[in-house]
Amino acid sequence: MTNRQRPALIASLVTWPLVLLIAFPLLWMLLTSVKPQAELFTTPPDFLPNAITFEHYRRVLEETAFLQYFRNSLVVAVSTTVLVVVVAVLGAYSLVRFAYRGRELLASLVLFTYLLPSVVLISPLYLMLVKLGLANTLASLVAAYTSFALPYALWLLRSFMAGIPEDLEAAAMVDGASRMGAFVDVVLPQALPGIISTALFSFILAWNEYLYALVLVNSDEARPLTTGVMTMLISAFNIEWSLLMAASVMMSVPLIVIFAFFQKYLTSGFGAGGVKG
Amino acid sequence: MAEAALPGARLERRDALLGLALIAPTVLVLGAVIVYPLLSAIYLSLFSLYTPTLEGHWVGLANYRAVFGSSGFWSALATTAVWTVGTLTLQVLFGLAMALLLHQNILFRSLARSLVLFPYFLSTVVAVLVWRWLFNDLYGVVNHALMAAGIIDAPVSWLGTMPNAMLSIIVVGAWKFFPFVVIAILARLQTIPEALYEAARIDGAGPVSRFFDITLPQLRDVLTIVILLRTVWDFKEFDLIYLMTGGGPVNGTRTLPLIVYQQAFGLNQMGLAAAHAVAMMLVMLVFMLAYLRRAGGRVA
Amino acid sequence: MVQVVFDKVRKAFGDTVTIPGLDLVIESGEFVSLLGPSGCGKSTTLRMLAGLEQPSGGRISIGGRDVANLPPAERDIAMVFQSYALYPHMTVAENIRYPLRKRGVPKPEQATRLAEVAALLQLEPLLDRKPRQLSGGQQQRVALGRALVRDPSVFLLDEPLSNLDAALRAHMRAELIELHRRLGKTMVYVTHDQLEAMTMSTRIAVMKDGVLQQFAPPAEIYDRPANRFVAGFIGTPSMALAEATLLRDGGGARLQIGAMMIDLPGRHAAAAPCAVTVGIRPEDIVVGQGPWQALVRLVEPTGHETIVALEAGDLALTARIPGGPRLHAGETVAFDVNRARLHLFAADDGHRLALDITDTTPPRSA
Repeated sequence: MTNRQRPALIASLVTWPLVLLIAFPLLWMLLTSVKPQAELFTTPPDFLPNAITFEHYRRVLEETAFLQYFRNSLVVAVSTTVLVVVVAVLGAYSLVRFAYRGRELLASLVLFTYLLPSVVLISPLYLMLVKLGLANTLASLVAAYTSFALPYALWLLRSFMAGIPEDLEAAAMVDGASRMGAFVDVVLPQALPGIISTALFSFILAWNEYLYALVLVNSDEARPLTTGVMTMLISAFNIEWSLLMAASVMMSVPLIVIFAFFQKYLTSGFGAGGVKG
Repeated sequence: MAEAALPGARLERRDALLGLALIAPTVLVLGAVIVYPLLSAIYLSLFSLYTPTLEGHWVGLANYRAVFGSSGFWSALATTAVWTVGTLTLQVLFGLAMALLLHQNILFRSLARSLVLFPYFLSTVVAVLVWRWLFNDLYGVVNHALMAAGIIDAPVSWLGTMPNAMLSIIVVGAWKFFPFVVIAILARLQTIPEALYEAARIDGAGPVSRFFDITLPQLRDVLTIVILLRTVWDFKEFDLIYLMTGGGPVNGTRTLPLIVYQQAFGLNQMGLAAAHAVAMMLVMLVFMLAYLRRAGGRVA
Repeated sequence: MVQVVFDKVRKAFGDTVTIPGLDLVIESGEFVSLLGPSGCGKSTTLRMLAGLEQPSGGRISIGGRDVANLPPAERDIAMVFQSYALYPHMTVAENIRYPLRKRGVPKPEQATRLAEVAALLQLEPLLDRKPRQLSGGQQQRVALGRALVRDPSVFLLDEPLSNLDAALRAHMRAELIELHRRLGKTMVYVTHDQLEAMTMSTRIAVMKDGVLQQFAPPAEIYDRPANRFVAGFIGTPSMALAEATLLRDGGGARLQIGAMMIDLPGRHAAAAPCAVTVGIRPEDIVVGQGPWQALVRLVEPTGHETIVALEAGDLALTARIPGGPRLHAGETVAFDVNRARLHLFAADDGHRLALDITDTTPPRSA
């Protein structure tokens, strides 16, 4: 159908320059990270590097605490994800399928916390974690990250699970399963895409978090990537942009992997989470 | 009890107990990391509290008098409003336009979508580092490009002067968060039945009137929700502004979340910070309630 | 003996009472349909029997065993759902084996029973497929297979045919009748389709607003509806119902319907005079001869018979006449009614009047 193809071509010509403009900062990050230091300061700047070097990557890995930060971020993000997904899967199932007093109130509370500013919670959380002797530990970050990841996860899973036909559980129970048996045999497999989506979102939220890390952790032993890399910026006398860009690229690798292989779970989670309500 | 004699009551109670057991971990965790901190934030706001020693005394509503009596709070509120309105407008307009374009049958559509969506999932720290490098006074690409295009004669300080700093964070905020609008609208566009457009075409509607008579009304609900949600989220944004400008130059981009942080951990006035936070929440409450009504209406 | 007993079963959701008190005894080996318009409580009744919903009062027993506190798994029932409720992540074979697996049936026996059921329902070529790769009719068979594989004491079927197209539905109706005959199991079947209920059931329980209206074999439901609701609900096209007055006339009785007067046997005089509702089935109207005149409003030929809408004064009637259309809309025809087959209901609460005319005549042989 020529009628359909012609507008698509015009739309492509309009869209692609905009797309490239949006992607440019990231492309520039990548290019800067492989340019020799000297090439950064030419005027006007060259778009493509004259020589490609991985020196900056080597220096980030060998001369900074990057790997320590990376390990911390990984531990915190994975722990937060596991904790949040386990709690939220059970909680969301309860919210969707059981009747008890206070259920509606709880659902509203979850939605409310989903909008709550971190800065409101940060002082009391800080005080609480200091009192518990958890200041400067990875555990304190997991606890703090749960405060935003759990409402998000509950909300997401609630909407995924609401979409599973109740008849399936009824059938399983008639077929001989207990209530929890039906949950394991039928609901969990059906909710799997939602669970994956929730896990990815929790991981990304935890991986990218900055404010709590800034307040709760001030030693390299427990510092995650976000505050760690910023420390590299602030502590340096003159800012080495190529170094920072190399660190930024490496810090984004898990996100790029997630994005490349699981994008459909991210977009489906999106609709379910905030927007559809 | 009469109820105990009812047949099936045991089953029903067993089910209700199971429901409560399943929700218990959620209630415990939410209580510990949200409800308790939230209530103690309100409690703290009635104290004068020195952060490093955590020593303090009851001051009642004095903190609130200080908050509402200071020009700092009101100018920060104004700054927050400028930032929120500015970046939200760009996000919505650009997001809507991009969603409509990406809904077309363009070349390499899925690649284009991925590239557009990625900034949203990127860490704010990375986004800020990249943009600070782009905005660099001497070697930044932005200045070079604008000079080459003849728009400016000399390098401009993007983050060190006003109103440039505000403009810069608004643009970076729009770049980082507009994909949210794109995804939401794109998802909705895909569910508009093709039959509506066919009917309109039969009724003689051209492309423009099809957009205004069908597409836009169909998007109204999702746009409302997206705008409410992004208003709340932009209003409370901390990372991006703090990392881009630190609230500067002077206090030019100091929004409410930044004041709360500075009071608590810069000026070590935790009680006053809590009062600022509570006051800020009161302002946000309008939008939060509007969103809750919109989205929460569909909870049950 | 697997008798199913509902004893004063009540169901309320909050303040809304959907079933005020149901008494129903289903004998062993019966095929009983719960029939009624949507919202009449038939599905709730079935789900209470299955243990998926709890009664607010009363007692349910299966085979003499009070099941009130038994979860569905322990009630020895199998159920086919309107949505089929096939487990989407399992293959057809896994779906059918699931009830056996849950009951710890040994693997070799699982395989044997699966093979039997697959052969019975011709599912062999589909065993490795996922439900979404099947047509509606195939999914329906799998759902049936999953119920059959376990040999339960009672089968519950919740509108299992309503998602099929007309031809398939007729075919599955015949298969279910055959299946019931072969297995001899108690079956409880929920439907809003009277054709299904009439063709398949040994007895039909007609329900309305949570109240049992009549519980009887199909022929009796049709020939001797217990009240005005059942009379109007059963039969297509439906029975014409009209307000009338029963009058005494010397030693006999007369029925006055608008301008029409119908003489009735004298024993009806006992109740007269009183207001009644009279019911006339379409096949009990004779068109072309008789003492009254009617205007033909609409003629609907269905092939082997013709449905004719008539208007006699204020009275709207529907007649069913054999063969093709011989009438035209707008013409006036003479008609008569089969006096022996009139139905009389009390004008106030609509119950069937004991002095009923058809009480003395045997049910039609046709």
